[in-house]
Amino acid sequence: MFTLSNSLVKVISAAWKRAVEIPQSERRRVTEIVLGVLLFSLPFVLSDLFLIDRFGRYFVWAIFAISVDLMWGYGGMLTFGHAAFFGSGGYLVAIFTTRGGSFLPLPLWPAVGLALFVIAVFSFLLATLAFRGRLPLRGVEFAVITLAVAFLLEQYARAGGDLTGGQNGILFEVRLGMFGLDLHRGRGFYALAGISLLIVYVVARVFVASRQGLITRGIRGNEDRVELLGYNVPNVKVGLFVMVAVFAGYAGVLFYVHDGIVSPTAVGATASTQVLLWVALGGRGTLAGPVVGAIVLQHLTATLSGTLLDTWLLVIGVLLIVVVLVFPGGILGHLNRGPAR
Amino acid sequence: MTTLLEVRSVRKSFGGFAAVDDVSFELRSGEITGLVGSNGAGKTTLLNVLYGKTFADSGSIIMNGTDVTKIPAFERVRLGLGMVFQITSVFHELSVTENLQLGALRKGREVRPSSDTDIDAILALIGLQSRRFDIASTLSHGEQQWLEIGMVLLAKPQILLLDEPTSGMTRAEAAKTADLCRSLLSNGTVAAIVVVEHNIDFIRRVSERVLVMHRGGIIASGSIDEVQKDQLVRDSFLGRMQ
Repeated sequence: MFTLSNSLVKVISAAWKRAVEIPQSERRRVTEIVLGVLLFSLPFVLSDLFLIDRFGRYFVWAIFAISVDLMWGYGGMLTFGHAAFFGSGGYLVAIFTTRGGSFLPLPLWPAVGLALFVIAVFSFLLATLAFRGRLPLRGVEFAVITLAVAFLLEQYARAGGDLTGGQNGILFEVRLGMFGLDLHRGRGFYALAGISLLIVYVVARVFVASRQGLITRGIRGNEDRVELLGYNVPNVKVGLFVMVAVFAGYAGVLFYVHDGIVSPTAVGATASTQVLLWVALGGRGTLAGPVVGAIVLQHLTATLSGTLLDTWLLVIGVLLIVVVLVFPGGILGHLNRGPAR
Repeated sequence: MTTLLEVRSVRKSFGGFAAVDDVSFELRSGEITGLVGSNGAGKTTLLNVLYGKTFADSGSIIMNGTDVTKIPAFERVRLGLGMVFQITSVFHELSVTENLQLGALRKGREVRPSSDTDIDAILALIGLQSRRFDIASTLSHGEQQWLEIGMVLLAKPQILLLDEPTSGMTRAEAAKTADLCRSLLSNGTVAAIVVVEHNIDFIRRVSERVLVMHRGGIIASGSIDEVQKDQLVRDSFLGRMQ
């Protein structure tokens, strides 16, 4: 038994050594292909519709995690309040589709478009205040402000009366679908969330590889130097913030329309810090890492909470500590280390 | 020689302390100006005011006829100013080529976007061709300093500001940096250079003109030999001047 395990360790160790000799970009491509094949083949190998639907939810979380990774992993701007946009997506669509008024209620997709527009405007104003003010915010100051925004929105959601539904939030029955297809549950929702994830991932990957993405990575490394190469850093940061807010808002739309209920915790600090764990676990600044982190942690949570009724949080906490100690850069962050070529 | 930069009666205070006090000088094309002085003389504050990290309380800074006294740093860069720090500020997680691409990518006002050929030329100039794919954090201090100079040069500045470029360098690296400065000027890559430096041998090798700062003001200017004979300068360096 000892000999067998010893041999296994040697084989894994040799495979790992060979893997890290492969150039980073190739390793990343292989990781993405393997991950894509694994995730998108699930409906063909799983028969449990509930589980397929659950993976659709994980995909939505993954979109949320990608948006945080762009901001934190690539832009170097830690945000403690990103659920403000995720939850706002749910609240705004719920309000636009259920409340009465001059142009309300709206059908689902116009409501989604309007919700994302409102999120874009709100995030633009917030980022303008944060990055273009007399004393532009950086580092911890920025993180604290994002936390404050999430806290304020949560308080407003609780105290918002008929508009936000107060403590109970808003129950709404709008079905996800397009072109006559029902995409609200099971394989339909899985397909909608999966395609959305794929689109967001590709857009994020193209952005990271673009001129703007290189400038963003430069800001993470040394903001002052970027400015002294002639770039208008506040403008770059505002643009990035609006993009990630819209991604998070779209993820929130899918998630809460699918659930049919949105409540004050949706925009609060708990959801905001949860997503940071996914990104840290998967590997910030990798894009694929946060996808893995979101899916693995949420699946573990869903599975363990049903079996280890009293201790599942403890188990997940210990697992997180172990993973962070063994892979300080996150799982895929560790895999992606090595030669750049 | 045309005047590229005019500094007129610039003053910068922190609380009641005047770190830069009524400083005036002109920077002409084709010259390397050395800025020397003891610690606390105001050299770094003056550089900060020149590149726009902080704004002058009074006085004015004119670049090529444009008043830049109150415009932000990135706008000054677009008007032709380049700044290289004493503590290198390259992007440690990016490769050498990616660092240079960041210098070459800018497409703002006064656009002269650089090409791959420009990057190859700069790599040759700073002697890092063989390390183009290496991550910047793996370079030595001297190589990082040259990489930073390369990044700044790709933004095609007219005026280059260097803050203690030889700090932490070996003698050989400092000599190579001196050669680099002279060649930048002789081959027209930049039109003028301002060097803040404690290394007087380096200043002697590169600068035609030296400005000596003491307690926020300029107390002497001229060639290195001229200012070294100046009694005020000798007293200020030896600590006898009150």
